[in-house]
Amino acid sequence: MRVPYWNVDYGFLIDVLAVPVFAIFFSGLYSHYRKIRKGKEQLKLGWGKANVKKGPVFLKEVFTKSILGTRIYRKFYTGLAHGLVFSGMAILTLGTILVFANVTIKLPVFRGAFNHWFMSFGLDLAGISALAGLLFFFLRRLFPPDRLVTPKERTGFFPMIGLLALIIITGFLLESLRIRASGPEPASFVGNFVAGFIPANGPILSYHRYVWWFHGFIALGFIAYIPFSPMVHMVLAPVNTALADPRPGPKMGVIDFSSFDDEEGEDMPPMGVAKLGDFSRKRLLDFDTCLWCGRCHEVCPAAQTQRPLSPKMVVATLAEFLAANRFTDEPVDVIGIDAIFNCTTCAACMEACPISINQPKAIMQIRQNLVMERSELPELMSKAYNSLEQRRHPFFGTGAGPKDWQKGLDIPIFAPGKTEYLLWVGCAATYDERAQKIARAMVKILSAATVSFGILAKPRCTGDPAKQMGNEFLFTEIARENIEEFDSLGIKKLITLCPHCFNSFTRHYPELGGHYEVIPHSVLISDLIAANRLALNKSSESFCFHDPCYLARRNHIEQPPRRALEAMGTLIEMPRTKRESFCCGGGGGNYWSESSGIRINQVRAREALDTSSSLIATACPFCLLMLTDGVKKFTEDKKVFDIAELVEARLKLG
Amino acid sequence: MHIAVLAKVVPDYEVPARDFELAGNRAHSRYTRMIGLYDENAVETGIQLKEKYGAKLSIVSYGHGDDVPILRKAIAMGGDTLHLVLGDSDDPYVIAANLEMALEQIKDVDLVLAGQQSADQDRGIVHGILSEMLGYTFLAQISRIEFDQDRWTVHQNHENGSRVLQFSRKAVLSITSSHENVPRIPVVRAIMAAKKKPVEKLQGIDAAPMKAEEIKVEIPKLESICEFLPLDDLQQTAKILLARLREERYL
Repeated sequence: MRVPYWNVDYGFLIDVLAVPVFAIFFSGLYSHYRKIRKGKEQLKLGWGKANVKKGPVFLKEVFTKSILGTRIYRKFYTGLAHGLVFSGMAILTLGTILVFANVTIKLPVFRGAFNHWFMSFGLDLAGISALAGLLFFFLRRLFPPDRLVTPKERTGFFPMIGLLALIIITGFLLESLRIRASGPEPASFVGNFVAGFIPANGPILSYHRYVWWFHGFIALGFIAYIPFSPMVHMVLAPVNTALADPRPGPKMGVIDFSSFDDEEGEDMPPMGVAKLGDFSRKRLLDFDTCLWCGRCHEVCPAAQTQRPLSPKMVVATLAEFLAANRFTDEPVDVIGIDAIFNCTTCAACMEACPISINQPKAIMQIRQNLVMERSELPELMSKAYNSLEQRRHPFFGTGAGPKDWQKGLDIPIFAPGKTEYLLWVGCAATYDERAQKIARAMVKILSAATVSFGILAKPRCTGDPAKQMGNEFLFTEIARENIEEFDSLGIKKLITLCPHCFNSFTRHYPELGGHYEVIPHSVLISDLIAANRLALNKSSESFCFHDPCYLARRNHIEQPPRRALEAMGTLIEMPRTKRESFCCGGGGGNYWSESSGIRINQVRAREALDTSSSLIATACPFCLLMLTDGVKKFTEDKKVFDIAELVEARLKLG
Repeated sequence: MHIAVLAKVVPDYEVPARDFELAGNRAHSRYTRMIGLYDENAVETGIQLKEKYGAKLSIVSYGHGDDVPILRKAIAMGGDTLHLVLGDSDDPYVIAANLEMALEQIKDVDLVLAGQQSADQDRGIVHGILSEMLGYTFLAQISRIEFDQDRWTVHQNHENGSRVLQFSRKAVLSITSSHENVPRIPVVRAIMAAKKKPVEKLQGIDAAPMKAEEIKVEIPKLESICEFLPLDDLQQTAKILLARLREERYL
């Protein structure tokens, strides 16, 4: 039976030394906590809905994203390496705790099957697993993929990989020396194997003592160093994921502008974020936790088309500000205004982040400040903004009147108490000639399925473009006007043609008092087909579907449009699809932006054309317009259609 | 230094031609109302002068009481006070007389700025008439203004160039648009503050109108005719296109 502290005098000193080491460890963590506490608001405490949240902690996420690290496995080999190191080190730590328990409370861990399978075989296997994972990390840092080094690389990993590997290797050496001196331990397969290489006639007991102390010291050193190295992510990452709201998308919320009414007030809160200290504590935790792994960088449509934005660069810059305690400096001076406005708010970065960092929210909060406090926004966006403010739609210079899209159609106006659905047309389908066809098609579809619907007498915009451009004030003003009109008409159910409108109605309007049952047109069409209220001609045509970010990634609506397409032909998927869809480039107000160099819409159009499908389908007027434009670079054929146009053209009439 | 900017609220100047309709010889009331395009350039110019020389900036308008919420944008942009003369005349002499009355009441105005023409009537004559009434110098099509040792230096833009002029008297300047006076977007705090600022409403006065009578107003309907040219031989297509353009007297 193994004897703890075998061959070592005063071995308990290691346990005594652990006390100051843990003091350093916790003091290091406390320094992180103190910095994060300088953020703006308290994390909201209290029970969340449906018991999924206790205090600020999302319980399900603790087990999935935090402990199991499920999101890390989206890159399988990286995930596997993390899993091997994490589980290996966890088991080895448990083994060390059990040894300590054996010493202090005589826990019989060195007996029978437990000793055989866990303390011997299990710990050897854990050590090998962790070493394998560390070898992967070492090689990956030696030959890093672009995402790790672009635009900048976080340092400090090599020493920690080396230190951790050294702890495990000295652990094995220790075991081997013990076995060489006192005889084989049946299940310690690594120890027995290495022991075979140790000469029998050396000063084994002395070596064992030296290695024992060395192993103990470096293990304690590693623990003490964790909070001061990138390895602090072992603690911060699970905390950050457990505190991250699991609902998809950045969750921008709304701003209560009544707090800005008192001009003479001494403590005027900023609109958006100007200084690091204006961010919430959760955002600061995001920045502190970020490993700069660059998964966000490699999915960002702006970064991948050589635009000035990289979400990794934004978060890394903010992390550097946090590390340097630059709470009163303005990070936008380093990040750059161009970068902030190049975000399409597609949230691909957030979706890809293995530790639930909310990059788009940080970017958007800086944008809000630029727009609302400094009036700084790109020229085309400012024109769209002006139009939205003056005309209540952002399509400046449009050649279309508000009723042009209705020509030749007899469309009912929403009648209070009689009409079931308000067909919310939105700005794009009203004022853009190409997008108008979506509205016309949807009217024909609803009529064919005998759905009770009506439109507003005067078209309106949800205000979403203002929100995406960073002007929360204008959004709130427009939203309140809409809510007032909906209330006066008794509108409860809406059909949206645009996922941005859908997102606004479902995510932001409730916070302003507007609660509606909202259904995206692609979902309604799918439901109507399933209920046999729409009969379609099916052919040998094939369609690939471009998932709008605000439908798939932000609201997890993926299958209904696919079901509708499958009712008409064959569905072909693009490589980047559903929640991993690549943005069309038009989100975040970037429909109104200057394009130069590689264009996001052309990249996505190329990807869609490469599927060789007959047609390209989407379910968002902005995606339609961006892709229609993108496709023009490669073909003159009319390839891109909204799902409503496709369905309407294939309706079996009569 | 006291600068007054004349700002007029007009119907949406970007209404698509095919959606435009008249009601009572004027743009239909269904169109959104907003500050005129050039008037916003004038407001921006005024704000820049205010910021540079520490001037006081008054916004003066002639129109309906309903225009106040729209005119507040000029305050949000940086104007100090808002004065609205109530009236509904379209006659340039009547408007000029009312604006003169307002400017006399405001007192001590050194410089009057106005957009080069309103976005509804497009006449560009009110400021000229006003300068005559006030006895001020009038200079048109100004894009840049500087002040040094009691002298104003202004840049007058022409289609094919520009001219620099100097004067030392009080003046009325009509402002044209340039890349230097693109209207700023007011910051949100300024919009909120502008909503609370008092507005001086002045009762309009009667004045002798222009000695002319409006008989008829017509807005030509735009027609788009699409004609396809053969594309077998690009050189030949270019020749046909040239001939067609000459035929239709576009060239």
